[in-house]
Order: sequence, then C-alpha cells, then structure tokens
Amino acid sequence: MEEIYTWMAHIQNNSELVTQHYLGKTVENRTIYYLQISQPSDKNKKIIWMDCGIHAREWIAPAFCQWFVKEILQNYETDPKIRKFLQNLDLYILPVLNIDGYIYSWDTARLWRKNRSPHMNGTCYGTDLNRNFNSSWGTVGVSYNCSSEIFCGSGPESEPETRAVVQLIESKKNDILCFLTIHSYGQYILTPYGSTNTPPSNNEELMHVAQTAAAALMEKYGTIYEVGSTSLILYSNSGSSRDWAHMIGIPFSYTFELRDKGTYGFVLPDDQIQPTCEETMLAVTTIIDYVDQKYFPGGAMILTSGSLGLSLCLTAVLTLIVP
Amino acid sequence: MFALNPNSRQASRAAWVALHYSNYHGASPSGLRALRHVMKVSAKMIADVGVKYYLQFATEDYISGQETGNCFATVLYQKKSKPEVNIKCARTQDQKQIQEEDRRVFQYLRHQTKPITANKIPDSHGNIEHALLPVWALAVAGSSHIMLDKSKENVGYFLAQIRTAKQWIRKDGAVEFEYTILLHKTPTQEMDLCYMNVLWSLHQVLTAKYICASESHQLDDGSGQEFGSAAETLHKKGGNFLQGLSASHTRSMGKLCAQPEAAITFPSKPRYSKRE
Ligand SMILES: [Zn+2]
Repeated sequence: MEEIYTWMAHIQNNSELVTQHYLGKTVENRTIYYLQISQPSDKNKKIIWMDCGIHAREWIAPAFCQWFVKEILQNYETDPKIRKFLQNLDLYILPVLNIDGYIYSWDTARLWRKNRSPHMNGTCYGTDLNRNFNSSWGTVGVSYNCSSEIFCGSGPESEPETRAVVQLIESKKNDILCFLTIHSYGQYILTPYGSTNTPPSNNEELMHVAQTAAAALMEKYGTIYEVGSTSLILYSNSGSSRDWAHMIGIPFSYTFELRDKGTYGFVLPDDQIQPTCEETMLAVTTIIDYVDQKYFPGGAMILTSGSLGLSLCLTAVLTLIVP
Repeated sequence: MFALNPNSRQASRAAWVALHYSNYHGASPSGLRALRHVMKVSAKMIADVGVKYYLQFATEDYISGQETGNCFATVLYQKKSKPEVNIKCARTQDQKQIQEEDRRVFQYLRHQTKPITANKIPDSHGNIEHALLPVWALAVAGSSHIMLDKSKENVGYFLAQIRTAKQWIRKDGAVEFEYTILLHKTPTQEMDLCYMNVLWSLHQVLTAKYICASESHQLDDGSGQEFGSAAETLHKKGGNFLQGLSASHTRSMGKLCAQPEAAITFPSKPRYSKRE
C-alpha cells in the first residue's frame, strides 16, 4: 500500500492531467485518495467513476486501476479514442477503497475480504463494504452476523469508507454518467440489480454496451466474459455500490469480476496480471467510448457529415420527384 | 422440463458439480478439467427427489488452460444426499499422453526419499513451484470429492489455497498426502477449512477422506479464539476417521496444523493430537 500512496503522489507530480484528491478516512484512520484525470478545458464536462479494491483479497483490482491510469497517461496524446473522450469526460479513479483490509491481506491474512471495523467489543472484525450501501440495504444476500464475510454492517452507510464514496458521488451525481466497480474473480460484466430480479429501465442498453465491451475484451486473448444482471448470473445481493449508483440516477453502472474462473481465484499468478489488465482496458474503454458518443455526439465527425450528405441528397431527390 | 439461461449461476454451478465429480473419479491429476462456459442447460423437477440439470458445456485443462473438449452431464441435486452426477466428455487431448503423464507424476511422487512438505500452494501471488504442481493437482482431485459432497443447488465451492501439504512415504507403493486446504464458498464468501488425506495408487484409484470445520468463521482477526470451537467440532466429527489413521499420522496432524501465521490460527495444542 505504501507503494500505491507513493505512486499516486508521483503520478500527480509528473502529469499535468492528474490531480490527487482527498476522499475520506478509513476505520483505522488512513487517508483515502482518488485521482482525477482531466484535460484542461472551459467546457462543462461529465464524469466517469471507477473504483478498485473494495474487497481486500481481490488484488488484481487495484492493479488494474493503476494500469488504467498509466495507460491513459501514456497514450492520450497518440490514441485518438482517448484524446476524444478526454475532451468531454473527466476520469475519477479510486485505486484502493478498502485500504485497511488491503493492508491486512498483505500483512496478515491473504484471503481477508471486508474492511477492519471492530464489532462486539472487538471480538469480530469487518463489514462487507459492498453490502453496506443504501440500496435495499440488508434485504438479501447479506448476514447480520459480524463474523460473516457478507456482514452488511450495523446500518446502511455505517462504515466511513462507504460514506466517503457516497459523499463524493452524491455531490457530483448529476455529472457522473458511468460508475464502474472492479472486483475478482469469475470473468463477468454485471449489470444492476443484485437486490431484485426486476431489470432497470435502461436494461437493454446496459446489456448491449456490456456485450460490446465483452466482445472487445475477448478479441485480445480469447478470454470469455459473461454478461448479465447480478441477480441472474452471480447471486442476489443487497447494499452493493453498483445498485446504489444506478438507483441514484447514474445510468451506466457495472461491476467487473476480473480473471480467473476459479482455478487460482483470488491468488491470480503474476504472469496473468498484465494480460488481464490489457484485455480489461479494452472493455472499459469500449464502455467509456459509448458513453462519450452518446452524450457528446458531435465528435463523430465523419459519420455526421456522411449522413448529412445523404439527407441532403434525399431532399434533392424528393424535391425532383415532387415538384 | 424447462430451459435455463446458460449464463445463469445455476448453470455454471451445476457444470462445476459435474466437473468435481469427474475430477475426483477420473483419478487423473494430469487430466483435470475446469469449466470454460455452459452452452446449453435445462432442468426438471423430480417430485420427492430434487432438481435435475441437463447440461452441455465446454471445458479446459485445469492447469494449462488449454481447451479440452465438450461435456454432456446430468446433475441431480437430491434433498437428502449429495448430488448425483453423470458425465461424458469428448477428449481433444491424447488419452495415452495423459496416462503417460500421470504415470510420470506418480513415479516422481512415489520415489521421493524425503517426503515432500510445503505451505501455501499457490503462494499469495499465485506462484506454484514447478516441483509442487503435482502436489497441487492431487489436492484439486482430492478436494473435488469434498466440493461434490458439499455442493448444493445454491451453494458452490472452489479450491482457494492449500495451506499445508505433507507426504507420507508408504511401503505399499501408493502415494499419500495430508493436506489442510481452504475452500471458497459462494455466495456466502466464506473460506471453509478442511483437513484432507489423499491416497493415490495408479490405475485410477484415488480416495480422499476429510473433515471440515465448515460451520465456523475462520477468517477472524487471527486471535484464534474462534477456531478453538472449530477444532472442537473437527475433533468430534473426525472421531471415527482419526481412529483409522496410524498413531504417527495423528501425532503429525498436530504439528501440521499448527500454522502460526495468517488467516487461520489453530489452538497451540490441538486437542485431536492427543487421541492415541
Ligand atoms: Zn469483490
């Protein structure tokens, strides 16, 4: 974790695009920072949010957030795709949300999942932060027993880590178009909801975009990702950040479950980190691209002028036919 | 009979159950399979018995990830006992080659003069020393038996990590390992700790005996308080099984399980070590 703090400070000092911001404090009083990548502009931009490391043992997730930032900064000048969406969108990246748990998984228990809040006079530890959000909190796929791995906390947003995310997202929610939360393992792109089988109003579009993203991902190394609603293809859960983000009005909200399918699970080998990041990058940029095109359609110059030409032609033809 | 979405959790869980069955009964550490994706699935309610799944799915080699052909399987979740499985798989790999590899692995393990002992396979970063790959594969085969026994329509398992492995050199030419393993359970996300003894002799005979401390929450703060009661359960459940082990084996379990570090803290003097 020290390395990640150092990396964040370093990257802020070495790029004009990146600024580090305070998000909040953890139970053990560590500071949570997020990175903002934005190109200077006087335009009113929208926001893409991505968080990693809400579950401590899913080490590939923080690795991906760092990879993502590195790739954007390395390529924004040369990659027209990135250059284009950065004109309209700011990227908010939270490399590790559950810092206490993450450190605990390095130092003490590799397979630790939750945060490190003490309960019952310190006889048991940890709330599952991804059951702690205020979205049908405590209704399904949770436990009220603090020794459970899916303990949902003493109430919605009972944990400081949860509140830190909520506070920022609430304050910017009118500008946030997309909420991505990165986990492992299983190879899924999951849509809302986990707490009910009733699909969200924009389900068709959510599914379509996720399927396009999964197809882009597969092109790199042939890795198969399954796409679908959380309650259908993973399991029912309540109080997740993904459900909450969609419920407060963020239209594109997805959970990624990165490699693998269960052979190594949480202890993904080093030699799979880079390929995992590379392929996931393609999926994530596909989603961002779609969001960009949808909300800032002016950027698609060729398509627009082409169709404009066509309609002018048609008008001309029609004028000829109907004098 | 009703068709189901091949992406659904029930489909992949049932396919894994079928693979647990074949990975255990196949008794072939070189021929283990993992699920790639489910292609077709339907299910049928059978009155007074349970639910039966009919599946078609693609598989890959558990260790190399190479494609290994499609399987057809039925999985019957029974109300009163473990799932009943029928499975037939096409083989894209050369069967002879797998047998040859099994033989090689077997000889390698059998001819150890110093018994193999190891902790954490894979390690925290997913590394497995090349020499320990067979020890891992044997644990995958053996733990498939546990996972098959414990799986339900709405509860699935994966082998998360081997905590300890210890070989016993045998005079009868078979290969024997003692393991403590962690099984990742979904959707509860718990890590179930199991003790497992695997006996392997060539010609497709592999047996795994086990005791799991499944009803406890082992991933505590490391104080070990909670595991005290888990060890008690383990001790009670394992009564008959432990009697079947030789005195030296039983003695060693105490040492084996007394891992000082990390997620699981055993009581410093496991009660079951005093059985002899
Ligand atoms: Zn997770």
